[in-house]
Amino acid sequence: MRTPVKKIVTAVGASVALMAAGHASAEIKIGIAGPMTGPVAQYGDMQFSGARMAIERINSNGGVMGEMLEAVEVDDVCDPKQAVTVANRLVNEGVRFVIGHLCSSSTQPASDIYEDEGILMITPASTSPDITERGYELVFRTIGLDSMQGPVAARHLISLKPERVAIVHDKQQYGEGIASAVRDTLQQAGVEVAMFEGITAGDKDFSSLITKMKQADVDYIYYGGYHPELGLILRQARQAELDAVFMGPEGVGNKDINTIAGDAAEGLLVTLPPSFDEKEENQALVQAFADKGEDPSGPFVLTSYAAVQLVADGIEQADSTDPFEVAAALRSGSFETPIGTVQYDSKGDMQSFEFVVYEWHSDGSKTPVN
Amino acid sequence: MQDVLYFLQQLINGLTIGSAYALIAIGYTMVYGIIGMINFAHGEIYMIGAYTALITITGLASLGVAWLPLVLLVALICAMLVSSSMGWAVERVAYRPVRGRHRLIPLISAIGMSIFLQNYVHLAQGSRNIGFPALIEGGFQFGAADSFQTSISYMQITIFITTLICMTVLSLFISRSRIGRACRAVSQDLGMANLLGIDTNRIISATFVIGAALAAVAGLLLGMYYGSIDPLFGFIAGLKAFTAAVLGGIGSIPGAMLGGLILGVSESMTSGYLSGEYKDVVSFGLLILILLFKPTGLLGKPEVEKI
Repeated sequence: MRTPVKKIVTAVGASVALMAAGHASAEIKIGIAGPMTGPVAQYGDMQFSGARMAIERINSNGGVMGEMLEAVEVDDVCDPKQAVTVANRLVNEGVRFVIGHLCSSSTQPASDIYEDEGILMITPASTSPDITERGYELVFRTIGLDSMQGPVAARHLISLKPERVAIVHDKQQYGEGIASAVRDTLQQAGVEVAMFEGITAGDKDFSSLITKMKQADVDYIYYGGYHPELGLILRQARQAELDAVFMGPEGVGNKDINTIAGDAAEGLLVTLPPSFDEKEENQALVQAFADKGEDPSGPFVLTSYAAVQLVADGIEQADSTDPFEVAAALRSGSFETPIGTVQYDSKGDMQSFEFVVYEWHSDGSKTPVN
Repeated sequence: MQDVLYFLQQLINGLTIGSAYALIAIGYTMVYGIIGMINFAHGEIYMIGAYTALITITGLASLGVAWLPLVLLVALICAMLVSSSMGWAVERVAYRPVRGRHRLIPLISAIGMSIFLQNYVHLAQGSRNIGFPALIEGGFQFGAADSFQTSISYMQITIFITTLICMTVLSLFISRSRIGRACRAVSQDLGMANLLGIDTNRIISATFVIGAALAAVAGLLLGMYYGSIDPLFGFIAGLKAFTAAVLGGIGSIPGAMLGGLILGVSESMTSGYLSGEYKDVVSFGLLILILLFKPTGLLGKPEVEKI
């Protein structure tokens, strides 16, 4: 009994390996990993749209070193367990470059696999500092860190001279991370943080929390997390007549918050990457998105585009498709992308990345504050 | 004074959510009372009720129907109809063929049904959160205007009153009607009831249908109260309602009501006085304590071994 099983396993394993090897020589596979379904699929749409556009445009210009890029798209539902599963699938598919993941809590476990398997990963959206803290050689990002974004939000709050601030987060790596960064900066400036409390992602009833904030008499509320929960908090707070200004990170800044919160989303403050789609030099690219009927204004569209472009430029620069050599090229070079000039530090973080405070409106538009 | 108002507000919040838990818990407890099985697809029935109500409301709005009582009534009826037929179908597909087999088999088929329904709604309606229009707005305020005010919204009052009506009608139905009497007979002894000429298959179907209809009522109410629905929100609500049913004594209808209210109030008090992070710890911790010291739940009867 034992031998046949072993034989089958070996045969299957060998054929998978052969298939992978056979494919890898034909074209360069780029894995795109992010949420296609689930509560934050909106952000996944931005990521896939940006990455697909980059692959399309690079291929129409003759590809990279004469080889075409081929997208391998996987859905991680923004769930850490699922992220590990799809990361392993990408490994089996023979992918050596990955654009993703999106949620920090997914990127973290998936990056362990990529680093072990010698796959280069660029996340266009994960802002948790922990991801690049572990001395990994193959992990990069095209977005800033919570440790940059949190203080931007906190400094804006301080400039508004708040009396008491409540900070709420969703207990996830991203939400709690950024909420802590905001709290620390506020406390250093001597602002009273009246509450620092977690909720459970997926919860729907926030009446008790809102009652508590009402009693604490806070005038500003910072929320670390994503839009499904903040949308409900905004709406239920409006109904309970809680009179305070809300602020959140880029995870709450998309138009779906308006379908949940309605008018209550008016006046919400959001820190976002600057609107790269409004930059003069990106207008041709913006037009290309418009021709496809897609909207490049989401925060992660052009960061994903830039991530693909960096992989391509890195391969050209290194003159090799070996992820380690590409990583070395990315660290040493300076690259022109739609999100500006990208230069990496030794950890794989961008040397500078700016966050801007926007005011959100009930029709889904946003205007920069000061 | 302010502390009292704060306490009152948390109590109101808790009772609101607790009444809705109770409505869902009825479905668990009735099915358990009659066939001794747990219907794990019940949370999904509640979710489908909420979706049906939302689709009906949107449909009526596009037809130009704006008179609120009519909109709510039609949405309620549609949700109850669709959920009830779902409840009936779940029983036919996932329970009847495996009834009387080993206990694990219906349990697994129910979990399968729950996963199927969840993913079906994922495919049919998308996986995103959908906003539910706030149809009932406004409320009463108590307390001085310059400090903390207790408020009861009309929505909360609607939830209390609807739950009260549903519970009264259900109690009358179980104690007075022919089907209700048959339900009680079947729950006492299924085999004997069958011998006495009761169509037990019909009664079991009826139980699923009644539970599903009440879950649909909860779906409409909570959809409006929370403000958004998604295909996964039946799962958590189902878990909470199941806890409420066990807390009150599974198999007992007044127990489900009591369990729901206790669970809702303990959740809101924990969030209000400790921290929202401990909400689920306290409610499930309560469940463990009750199971340790009173395994039949608060109002459950000790199980008599049927021979």
